[in-house]
Amino acid sequence: MELGMSQKQYWQNLGELKNTEGYRKLVKDEFQEDLPFEEDGKAIMDAKSPRRDFLKYLGFSTAAAALAAGCETPVIKSIPYLNQPENLTPGVAQYYATTFVAEGDVVPVIAKVRDGRPIKLEGNPLSFINTKSEGTSARVQASVLDLYDTGRLRYPVEISGIDMKELPSFEAIDKKIAAELTGAQVVLLTSTLNSPTTRQIIKDFLAKYPGSRHVQYDAVSYSGLLQANEITYGKRAIPTYHFDKARVIVGLDADFLGTWLSPDEFSSQYAAGRKINQKNPEMSKHIQFEGVLSLTGANADERYLHRPSEMGTVVLNLLAKLGGNVSAPAIADEKLKKGIEITAGLLNENKGAALVVCGSNDPNIQVLVNAINELVGANGTTINWASPLLTRAGIDGEMEQLVKDMNAGSVGALLVFEANPAYNYSNAADFIKGLKKTKLSVSFSDRADETSSICKYIIPHHHYLESWGDAEGRTGFYSLLQPTIAPLFKTRYFQTSLLKWSGNNTDYEDYFKNHWLTQLGNQGAFDKALQDGVVEPASLTFSNTLYSDAGVANAASKIGGGKAEGKAEVVLYQKVSIGSGAAANNPWLQEMPDPITRATWDNYAVISYAMAAELGIKLDDKYEVEFHKPLVAFTINGKEVKLPVLAIPGMHPNVIGIAVGYGRSEGAGRAASGVGYNAYPLVSAKEGVRQYYVTGVTGYKNTGDTYDIAYTQTHNQYEGRVEVVREYSLADFKKNPEAIPHYREELAEDFAKKTGDFKAEGTLYPVYESPGAHWGMSIDLNACTGCGACTVACMAENNVPIVGKNEVKRSHEMHWLRIDRYFASYRDNTEGDNLNVVFMPMLCQHCDNAPCENVCPVSATNHSSEGLNQMAYNRCIGTRYCANNCPFKVRRFNWADYNGADSFPDNQHHNGVGKFDDAVLMMNDDLSRMVLNPDVTVRSRGVIEKCSFCVQRLQDAKLEAKKSQDASVIRDVKTACMQACSTGAIVFGNVNDKESQVYKIRTEEQNHRAYYALEHLHVLPNINYLAKIRNTARPVGVKDEFAGEKATSHEGKH
Amino acid sequence: MSLTKYESFVREPLVDGEKTYNKVTEDIVYTIETKPTRLWYIGLYISVALLLFGVYSIYREVTYGVGQWNLGKTVGWGWDITNFVWWIGIGHAGTLISAILLLFRQGWRTGVNRAAEAMTIFAVMAAGQFPIWHMGRVWLAFFVMPYPNTRGALWPNFNSPLLWDVFAISTYFTLSLLFWYSGLIPDVATLRDRAKTKFRKLFYGIASFGWTGSTKHWQRHESLSLVLAGLCTPLVLSVHTIVSFDFATSVVPGWHTTIFPPYFVAGAVFSGFAMVQTLMLITRRVMNLQDYITLGHIEAMNKVIVLTGSIVGCAYLTELFMAWYGANLYEYDAFFRYRLAGPYGWSYWIMMTCNVVSPQLFWFKKLRRNIEFTFIMSVVVNVGMWFERFVIIVTSIFRDYVPSSWSLYYRPSIYEIGFYLGTFGLFFTCYFLFSKYFPVIAIWEIKHVLKTSGENYKAKMEGLEKLSNDEFYNKTHHH
Repeated sequence: MELGMSQKQYWQNLGELKNTEGYRKLVKDEFQEDLPFEEDGKAIMDAKSPRRDFLKYLGFSTAAAALAAGCETPVIKSIPYLNQPENLTPGVAQYYATTFVAEGDVVPVIAKVRDGRPIKLEGNPLSFINTKSEGTSARVQASVLDLYDTGRLRYPVEISGIDMKELPSFEAIDKKIAAELTGAQVVLLTSTLNSPTTRQIIKDFLAKYPGSRHVQYDAVSYSGLLQANEITYGKRAIPTYHFDKARVIVGLDADFLGTWLSPDEFSSQYAAGRKINQKNPEMSKHIQFEGVLSLTGANADERYLHRPSEMGTVVLNLLAKLGGNVSAPAIADEKLKKGIEITAGLLNENKGAALVVCGSNDPNIQVLVNAINELVGANGTTINWASPLLTRAGIDGEMEQLVKDMNAGSVGALLVFEANPAYNYSNAADFIKGLKKTKLSVSFSDRADETSSICKYIIPHHHYLESWGDAEGRTGFYSLLQPTIAPLFKTRYFQTSLLKWSGNNTDYEDYFKNHWLTQLGNQGAFDKALQDGVVEPASLTFSNTLYSDAGVANAASKIGGGKAEGKAEVVLYQKVSIGSGAAANNPWLQEMPDPITRATWDNYAVISYAMAAELGIKLDDKYEVEFHKPLVAFTINGKEVKLPVLAIPGMHPNVIGIAVGYGRSEGAGRAASGVGYNAYPLVSAKEGVRQYYVTGVTGYKNTGDTYDIAYTQTHNQYEGRVEVVREYSLADFKKNPEAIPHYREELAEDFAKKTGDFKAEGTLYPVYESPGAHWGMSIDLNACTGCGACTVACMAENNVPIVGKNEVKRSHEMHWLRIDRYFASYRDNTEGDNLNVVFMPMLCQHCDNAPCENVCPVSATNHSSEGLNQMAYNRCIGTRYCANNCPFKVRRFNWADYNGADSFPDNQHHNGVGKFDDAVLMMNDDLSRMVLNPDVTVRSRGVIEKCSFCVQRLQDAKLEAKKSQDASVIRDVKTACMQACSTGAIVFGNVNDKESQVYKIRTEEQNHRAYYALEHLHVLPNINYLAKIRNTARPVGVKDEFAGEKATSHEGKH
Repeated sequence: MSLTKYESFVREPLVDGEKTYNKVTEDIVYTIETKPTRLWYIGLYISVALLLFGVYSIYREVTYGVGQWNLGKTVGWGWDITNFVWWIGIGHAGTLISAILLLFRQGWRTGVNRAAEAMTIFAVMAAGQFPIWHMGRVWLAFFVMPYPNTRGALWPNFNSPLLWDVFAISTYFTLSLLFWYSGLIPDVATLRDRAKTKFRKLFYGIASFGWTGSTKHWQRHESLSLVLAGLCTPLVLSVHTIVSFDFATSVVPGWHTTIFPPYFVAGAVFSGFAMVQTLMLITRRVMNLQDYITLGHIEAMNKVIVLTGSIVGCAYLTELFMAWYGANLYEYDAFFRYRLAGPYGWSYWIMMTCNVVSPQLFWFKKLRRNIEFTFIMSVVVNVGMWFERFVIIVTSIFRDYVPSSWSLYYRPSIYEIGFYLGTFGLFFTCYFLFSKYFPVIAIWEIKHVLKTSGENYKAKMEGLEKLSNDEFYNKTHHH
C-alpha cells in the first residue's frame, strides 16, 4: 500500500512532469538574487576565504550598529492618507489653472501643487493678458508664499478695543451682523473689483439695503486717467496699450515696465520691440521724462529730467510742438526743452507707430496726453479700445465723499474688502475718525491690518489659491479661479457673507458654478474653462474710439504756468517689489533687491548727487562700502521727516524719491511691521484727485546721524571692464557688427592656436566629452528690463532662504540669481541725462573649466557630463574656497541656519552677532515651510549653494523623455528664471541639440552679439550674454573700443 | 671635528661670562627647579584667559555658524586665513634655525634653537586651528583625509591646494615635533638626574626615554639630528610654498601670481625671526639668560631680518611692476586702484612701512645691537607681516572681477578677534608651560660650543693665535 502512495506523483505542469532542462533551471533560479556580497558566483559564506573579509564585515556591522544605536534619528512627522485622493500620486506634481487676483490686478496662472500644497506659480500661456507667455512679475511669483503667511487671521474675530475675540461660528456671525445691518445705509468699500459674479452679488446686496452704495478705492489711484478718458473718449475706462506696435515710445513719469498698470504685459510687448535681429538691426526708440530714476527710465534710450510739478508744462510743450492748439509756458531748462523738441520730432516722424503714456494722476494732464496720442495716431494702433482694462476703477471723489459721509455719521455700516485706507489713504486720519463714528464696520481682510484692526468684525476671506472665483481683467477676457488647496484656516468667502446677508442662502462656490454653467452652457464647457483657466476671444481685435478735444482747452488752462516751486519736490513712487504695500509681509519681496538702488528691506529717500553734495555727503569709497547711510531731515509741508538717503545718478537735482508701501503696522505681519517709513500721508490732492508728489519741500539738512540700509550691490560702475559688460549704440553696432566675433577669434588665435578650442588647449586637466545633453543658457541684455521676477521665481523653485535685513547688511543674502545693475558707460560720466544703465542677470555660469571645482578639497562641487557645475551638499565641508575663486561671485554660503535644516538644535535664537530677524524666524514656521519645494534639498548651515540650472527640472524632463521615448520632450524644459521672464530675455536649452533655440542663438541668430562674460579667463561658461544695444546717438560703451581692434585686444588678457 | 675645537678669535663669543659645564646647567635649569615667579603666573593666567575666550568664540562659531564672523559673499576668507598664514609663517624660523643652520654648522644657533623650535610647534598648533575651524561643517573635516570608505572610490580632490595644505602642514608638524623632542631628550635626562621629587623623577624619567648619555646614544642622536635636519630643510621651503599655492593657483587678481612661493618663504622666515626675537628678548630678561642669548645672537638674527625683509620688499615691488607691465586691466586695478589706494589702502601702507622701510634701519650696527630697538622692531615686523597676509587675502577678493559684487567694508566681529586672541592664548600657554618645565636653551648644545666659543675659553685661546701653523696643528690634533 505504501508503494502505491509513493508512486503517485502530483505535478503542476508538463515541465515538472518530464523534469526538463528548462524547468530545472527555472526552479534553481527562482530566488536567484543573493546577498550583494556575492563574488565569483559564490555567496559570502561559500567564498574562498571569508576569513579575510571577516574583520571588514565585523567592523562594518559594529560601526553600523553603533551608529544606529548612538545617533538620534530625527523625528519626521508624516501622516499617511486615510483615503488617498483620486489622481494623486505622492511625489508627482499636479497643475491647476487659476488666477492671481489682488487689488484689481488679474494674472491668469498655473499653480503647481505637490502633495496637496501649491508651491509654485507660472503665467497661464493661454491668456492674452499674459501675452500668451508664462512670464509673471515678482509679486505674482511671491504670492504663493502669502498663502502660508503666518500673519493671516486663523478665524473670524470680533474686536473691542485692542481685544480680539474669536467668533465661534459663521452662523452666529451672520445672525449678529444681519441684525445690525437691518435698515442701515451700507457702504461697501473695496479695491477695484472685476469679478463678474462678485459684481452681481454686490448688486443684489445693495438692492437689499436701499441707500447703500459700492465705493471702489485703489491704494494707488488711477483716478486721473479714468476721469480724463471720460472727458476725451466718453468712457471712464482704461484702454489697452500695445508697446510692441510702437516704434517710438514716450514715457512721461510712467513706470510702465515696473509698476504702472500692467507692467508684465507691457514688458513683454516692450521687449518685442527691443530685441535685435542681427540681419537687420532695428529697435524701438524709448524716451522717458521723469524726476526719479525708475526701472522704465533705466531702460530708456534717452531720459530728460523734470520736477513732478513740471509734468503739465512738459506735456503742454510737447502738445504745442506737435501742433496742438495750446499755448505752452516757456521752459527754462535747456536740456529739457531740447528733449521735448527731439521727442516731438520723433513722434511726428512715426505717426501711427508711436505711443505716449503718462503716469500722472492729474486728469488735466491726462487729457492733454490723450490729445498728444490723438495727434500721433495712437488711437486704434498702439492704444486699443476694443477691450478696455478693468483692473483700476477707483474714482478719488467717491472716496472723499465717503470719508465726509462717515464723519457726518451718515454711513450706517461699512464693509471693507481688500482696501486699507487707514494705511494708504492720503487722509487716513479722517478716515479713521469716520470709521470710529460708523456703527457697524466689518472687514474681510485676511489679517488685522491698519483698517481691519479698527473695524468691529473681521471675517477673513480665503486666499486666492484657496478660492473659486472669476475675474475680468479686461472686457470680455475672463479668467477663473479654482482652489488648489482646501482653506487652511476658518475663513469664508467675502461673497458668501454678502449672499447670506442679502438673504440668499447659496454659498459662493455654488453661486459661481451656477453662474458659469449658465454662461457656458454645459458641464463640459465649464470643465474645459476650468482646465484652461481662461475664457478669452480667439484673437485680439483692435479698434479706436471716438475722440473729442472739447476738454483740451480747459485742461490746458488749468495747468497754466506750473512753475517749479519750493526748494525741492518729492516723488512718491512704488517699488517694483513691494508695490502699494499690500504684500509687504512677503519676505521674498522684501528681500528682493530694488532694481535701481539694490537695497532690500527698507524705503529711503533717493536723491541726486548734487543734493548729496549740498548735504555734505561725500560720495567716495567710504560712502560706497559702509551701509550706514546719512539720515537727513526733510521739511515737507512744514513737517519734519527724517529719512536715510541713497544718492543715485540720473535724478533730477531737486527731486527726492520716496517709495510708498512701507511702514506697515504690527498687524500686517512679522516681516512687514517696522520696515521703513509710511509715505502715504505725504500724498497730496489736486481738485480732489490724489497726486503722488509733494512740492513743498522747504528744506533739508543732514542730521549727522546714520541709518543702516541693507543693500546688495556697492559698486555701480563696471569700470570699463568690457569683458563683463558689452554695450554698443545701434549705430556702432550696425557699423561694426562683428566686433565681438573678432574679439573672440583673436582670443582663440592667442590662446588656442592649434585647434581654436580653449577647452582642449586652455587647461591642464583632461577634457571630457559630453555626448548627450549639454545645457546652456543665453541671456539677452537688450530684452532684460531688470524687473527681478526671475530672482523671486528662483527663490520659490529652489528653496532659497531669506536671511533678513540684519544678514543682508552683512552680505549674507542667498539669492542664486541676482540682477547686477551698472550705471554709466564712461568711467567718470555717470551724471544726469548721460546715464546709461545696464541690467545683467548673474547666476552660476556653469563653467566647463570651472575655477571653483578644482579648488574644493573634497570635490563637493564637480562637473556633470551634461555641463552642469553641480554641488553635492552632503559632501561640502564649507571652506568657501570655491566662492573666493569664483570670478562671477555667484556662490552662496549658508552662514547660519537660515532654513532650520541643521542638526544643531536651537541655533536660530542667538543674540549678538548674526541675530536673526523676526522675518527669518517667521519663514521657519511650520506653516511657512509648507511652501518648500520637495524636489529640492533644503540646505543646512555651513554648505555652499548656487544655481543648479534647476537640475530637478532637467532630471524630470529626461525621465519624461525616457518614458515617452521621445527626446524632443527635453526641448521643452525651462529653468524657473526662464519661465518667469516676461520678456524672453533668458533662453535655456541643450546646446548639443542643433534644433534648440540656444544653439541657434549662438551660431546663427545672434552670434554677433553673443559673448561670454570674462571669456579671456578660459573658464568656459555655459551661459552667454547678448550685448546691450542702445538706440541713441550718445556714446555708449567703453571709449575707443571701436577705434581699432588691436588697441584693446590686449586689455584683460593675461 | 677639529673645527669645533676652535673658533677664530675675531668671532664674538657665543656664551658670555665665566662659565663651566656645571654653571651652564645650573643657570639654565634654575627656573625649572625653583618656584615660578609672580610674573610667570600673571602671564600664564592671561594666556589661559585668552585661550578660554578663543574656545568660547569657536563654540559660538560652531554652534551658530560661520556667520558669527563678518565674512560675506565676496570676502569669504578674512582674519581666519590671514591668521593661519601668519602663524604658519612664524613657525618657519624655528625650522630654519634648527635644520638649515645646523646643516650649515652655524654655531650661534645653539642659544636660540630650542625656544625657536618650541615656537615653531606652538605656532603650527595655533595656525592649524584656522583651517579647521573656518570650515562651515567642521565635524566633517575628516572628509579631507584620503581614508578608505564605504562610498566607493571617493577620494578627496588631489587638485585642490587646500588638500596639499593638509599634507604639508601635518608633515611639517610631525617632523618639527620629532626634531624638537629628540633634541630635548639629553636635557630632559639631565633634569631627571637632578630631580628630587618622586613626580619629577617619574615625569622626566619617562620623558627622557632612558637616555644615559653613552657614546652610542650621542652618536645615534647626532645621526638622527642630521637626518631630521635633512628632512626638515626642504620643508622650510615647501610648506610656505604650498600655502602660497592656495592663492597662486587661483584666478583672483592679486592672488594669481607666480612670484608667491619665494615671496612667501622669505616672508615666513622674516616674520619667524621677528617672533623669535620677541620671545628671546623677553625670555633672556625674565630668566636671566643674557649670557646665553647674547647680543651676538640678537645681531645675527637681525641680519637675517634685514635680508629677508629686503627680499620681501623686492617681491612687493616686483608685483607692482608686473601689474603695470602685464597690461592686464584686472591686475592693474587690483594693485594700483584697490591695494595702494581704496578703502584698504591704509593696510597696504602699514605693510610697506613695517616690512620694507623700517627693517632697513638694521643696516646700522648700532641699531642691530640695541635691545630695545630690536624688541620694537620685532613687534613691528610681525604687525607688518600680519598686514601683508591681510592685504593679499582681503584686498584681492574684496574687489575682484565683477564690480557688482564688490564688498562692503569688511571688519572682524568680536568672535573673529576672539579666535585670533585665543590662538595667542594657546601659543603663550604652551610657551609658558614649556619654559617652566623644559630648558628653554639646549644645555647640551651650549656645552658643545662652550669650550670653543665661551667667553672665558676664548680668552684662553690667545696663546693659540700666536702659534705657527704647524704648532697649531700639533696642539689641536694631538690628544
